[in-house]
Amino acid sequence: MKTLVLIPAYNEGAKISEVVTDVKAHGFDVLVVDDGSADQTVFLSRANGARVLAHKINRGQGAALKTGIEYAKCHNYELVVFFDADGQMQAKEIKNLIKPILNGSVEVVLGSRFLGATINMPLVKLLLLQLALIFTKITTGLRVTDTHNGFQAWTISALNKINLTQDRQAYASELLAEISEHQINHQEIPVTIVYTDYSRKKGQSIFNAFNILFNLLIKK
Amino acid sequence: MPIQLILIILIILAVLRLLYQLKNKNISLGQFLIWLFIWSVAIIIISAPAITTYLATIVGIGRGVDLAIYISVIAIFYLLFKLLLRIEKIEKDITKIIRIEALKNISSDENK
Repeated sequence: MKTLVLIPAYNEGAKISEVVTDVKAHGFDVLVVDDGSADQTVFLSRANGARVLAHKINRGQGAALKTGIEYAKCHNYELVVFFDADGQMQAKEIKNLIKPILNGSVEVVLGSRFLGATINMPLVKLLLLQLALIFTKITTGLRVTDTHNGFQAWTISALNKINLTQDRQAYASELLAEISEHQINHQEIPVTIVYTDYSRKKGQSIFNAFNILFNLLIKK
Repeated sequence: MPIQLILIILIILAVLRLLYQLKNKNISLGQFLIWLFIWSVAIIIISAPAITTYLATIVGIGRGVDLAIYISVIAIFYLLFKLLLRIEKIEKDITKIIRIEALKNISSDENK
């Protein structure tokens, strides 16, 4: 299946070369969607062989993802892998992630750090994610082990079924809600998420949870 | 007495400004009428505050002022909510534009 690895990025100049090179080394097409970065992310992505879409101003990870998805649809890709730009994910796990889709058993594969492994995960983040699990279970009925894991693989047919409206971090919850609403066949796969000082600094503040809740409420 | 006069004069000025905006097509007739209604209610309440006491006793609240404040707070929350929705829509529209730009530019980049 024609596969695209989609990497939304915002000010990831420090890590993007490494990430792009790593993913390309495993033989995948890479699209970096730059979300209005002020640094060299666009230049470095291109220099390392990625195709680049650039938002002129910052719109949010959800928006960047959607832009990348539009690109994938226009360029006849059949499978899209969402991958983070901050080095928390392992490119070598992509092959494993997409296996269930290639086997034809599911349309969406969700990476789960709680089935897999986390390295240096902050306790507060852990607690917050557990709360998010309960919230997700209540609002979508989905029994997943990791609700806000950006490491996912989607078939284009599944992407065509859903409608992403959340520009910012609430997109992660929206993806699950869409899976539930459209009864999309999905599966979780263990993945490793590594927390470094760099990625922790760049990560979401725990208070962003309130923003996410608010955005989801307005949508309803 | 004097404060009521001052407030009413200010309101009349506000209404005149409103008429000016309508004349210059900066606001619609609908918006004009809504604001005219609001200012008229304000004039009535300022000129005859006893009305609020009367209305308050009908709904079972102690003072007219309290009633005026409760209604104002509800109206403000409602308007705030509408504003938030409006802002959300604008944000989404901005994202749409940015997305189209990004997709357009990559086509030209790839053809280079």
